[in-house]
Amino acid sequence: MSKLGAVIQREYVTRVRTKGFIIGTLLFPLIIIFLFGGIFIFAQLFAPSTKNYAVIDQTGKVYADFVKLLPDTLKNGKPKFAFHQVQTTDPISERTFSVLQKQIVNKEIDGYIFIPKNVIATKKVKYAARNVSDFEELNDLQRSLSRVIANLRLSEKGFPAEEIRQEMAKGWIQLESHQVTEKGEVSKHSASSFLLTYLLSYMLLLFIMTSGQTVTRSVIEEKSQRITETIISSINARDLMLGKMLGICLLGITQLIVIGGFVYSTSIFGAPLFAKAGIQIPKLMNILENLHFSPVIFIFFILFFFMGFFLYAGLFAAIGAMVNTNDEGQQFLLPIVFLNLMGFFIMFSVAKNPETTSAFWASLFPFFTPVVMFARIAVMDPILPSGAIISLFTLALSIIILIKFVAKIYRVGILMYGKKPSLKEALKWIKYK
Amino acid sequence: MNILEVDSISKNFGDFEAVKELSFSLEEGKVFGLLGPNGAGKTTTIRMIMNIIIPDSGKISIMKNSDVEKANNLIGYLPEERGIYRKMKVNEVLLFLAKLKLMPRKTAQNEIDNWLERLDLKKWKDKKVEELSKGMQQKLQIISTILHKPKILIFDEPFMGLDPLNTKLIKEILLELKEKGTTIIFSTHLMDNVEKLCEQILMINKGKNVLSGNLKTIKNNYGKNRIQLKFSGDDKFLQNSAVKNFDNFGNYVELQLNKEIDPQEFLKKVCSQVQVSKFEIIEPSLNDIFIEIAEKN
Repeated sequence: MSKLGAVIQREYVTRVRTKGFIIGTLLFPLIIIFLFGGIFIFAQLFAPSTKNYAVIDQTGKVYADFVKLLPDTLKNGKPKFAFHQVQTTDPISERTFSVLQKQIVNKEIDGYIFIPKNVIATKKVKYAARNVSDFEELNDLQRSLSRVIANLRLSEKGFPAEEIRQEMAKGWIQLESHQVTEKGEVSKHSASSFLLTYLLSYMLLLFIMTSGQTVTRSVIEEKSQRITETIISSINARDLMLGKMLGICLLGITQLIVIGGFVYSTSIFGAPLFAKAGIQIPKLMNILENLHFSPVIFIFFILFFFMGFFLYAGLFAAIGAMVNTNDEGQQFLLPIVFLNLMGFFIMFSVAKNPETTSAFWASLFPFFTPVVMFARIAVMDPILPSGAIISLFTLALSIIILIKFVAKIYRVGILMYGKKPSLKEALKWIKYK
Repeated sequence: MNILEVDSISKNFGDFEAVKELSFSLEEGKVFGLLGPNGAGKTTTIRMIMNIIIPDSGKISIMKNSDVEKANNLIGYLPEERGIYRKMKVNEVLLFLAKLKLMPRKTAQNEIDNWLERLDLKKWKDKKVEELSKGMQQKLQIISTILHKPKILIFDEPFMGLDPLNTKLIKEILLELKEKGTTIIFSTHLMDNVEKLCEQILMINKGKNVLSGNLKTIKNNYGKNRIQLKFSGDDKFLQNSAVKNFDNFGNYVELQLNKEIDPQEFLKKVCSQVQVSKFEIIEPSLNDIFIEIAEKN
């Protein structure tokens, strides 16, 4: 086995079996399981009960139709709402309200709805309850009331209200999105393709950062434990650095494949499994089902992880070589995080408008390329966005140049103990023979 | 045959001249002392031999091969700054370091087993390094240095932080390896420590060669004018033009004569003035020689 191979193997093998790596790899799938499981379990635990409302209908025309519009039942089969009408004198006395208020406070009813006589003119209905934060419920009530009132108005003007409504419902159309490509038209769910892009770009960012920091830690470990000199007396510093990067990169790819495999199999097998168990599929799962994992996207994902990792790992390795402890490394970390995050923010607008000139140029800036260009490719798949191939070349070239300089800083830095050098000093190391 | 030839190498770090046109050569099978105070350029010189840093100018060849990187596997190096992966298991660390010297796995495992057995570390084979005592970790470092049967061994300050048992052990192993024809380089500022081990020396100060050659010859050239003397009587005779300097320790005196003075003639003179109970010509220590040279410059 070559020396480089020995370093790659050591970096990979000693890390892949650590508890940290195993937990880190399984954490993501576990979070997803807990998320789905949690949504399901909590939905059961906190299942709402039937809401009891008193309705004062001064018009005498709203109540019957209004109640008919809200026949919803809860998951346990019980009705969602129970209404009863309260008859009052006109004008209503304050005493009626105070009685109702007392009933609410005593939990005899959950609330009351007061429909005033002039509701058609004022367009205002009073709703009072112990809890007014369930906006879904408020929406239901509001929608139903509006519909009844609108019908009343139509009838008053002599239009057949229900007939109009039915005709209007028939007129609802759906916008089916299709993407035009050279091979023809492809139907595509725009929300899911944006979500996929967002998810994958986020994972790219996360993995480049975490793997990169592993590089820094690995360099610092050898430095702080005074191992470096023993190692570089057998292998040259550049190969040691590349071996380290390759080993850690493989580690990241392993992690990505495990997680990718999990997400893929959940999206395929998850829904039927849930259905078999008689469990309602949560909404999130439906979205996952709509994510299409085109092999091309996956290849680009791995490719951009590989290249993005090497670009950033170059910076991370230089940091490791310059400092003596992880704490000292933190302050150098900030600009890199900032650089990476900036690319991530740009990704948001680029994913919506992947074909603008600014999107093109942003994706050509090497430190943004992995996330931004990947987002453009993922959103526009199966069309390759302009500059995709060029960006691979510029990224590769940047990596080669950066690694060349970093290797020099690395070679000098790993043997420097004691005071942390300034950036200016570190740049001087590049000139050392 | 010269196993190592260093031809006029120089190395600067910024404005600092670490090594200046240093030349020396090393005969196969000899024990060589690279001596000098802290900061003299010893470690920089070794790092250039190990291809860790590259000389600004000059040439190094190992076994007539000037591709230092290729010759690298023939050398075993125990650096002054030495450590070992604490989170790895003993056997894994040794296998990894053997692989870095391109040793075939099987041969490496055999050698590792032999050495672990010999140095009483066998039952620690599958333990993590951090579970070992400091003394055991030192043994591990020694094993990793000699595992691949190097032709040349380089030890940079080998006795620093070593406990007495391991010091003895390292000396034993080194003598054994020397018997088998291994060339050994000791680099240290504690000159007394290696005086008995070295046959050839190179003394450097401020990156420059100040003294080199066969240790015995050097001592002969420098010796014969240091005298230990026990006497009773007036010590007035020490204030003499023949005496270059002296240290009166109370019950005996150590003195250095001026070069042209014959010790026999001096003894005769002294005998006429005081009662001499002991008169011994002592060999100068490397320390004395170094101090003399450093003062001259």
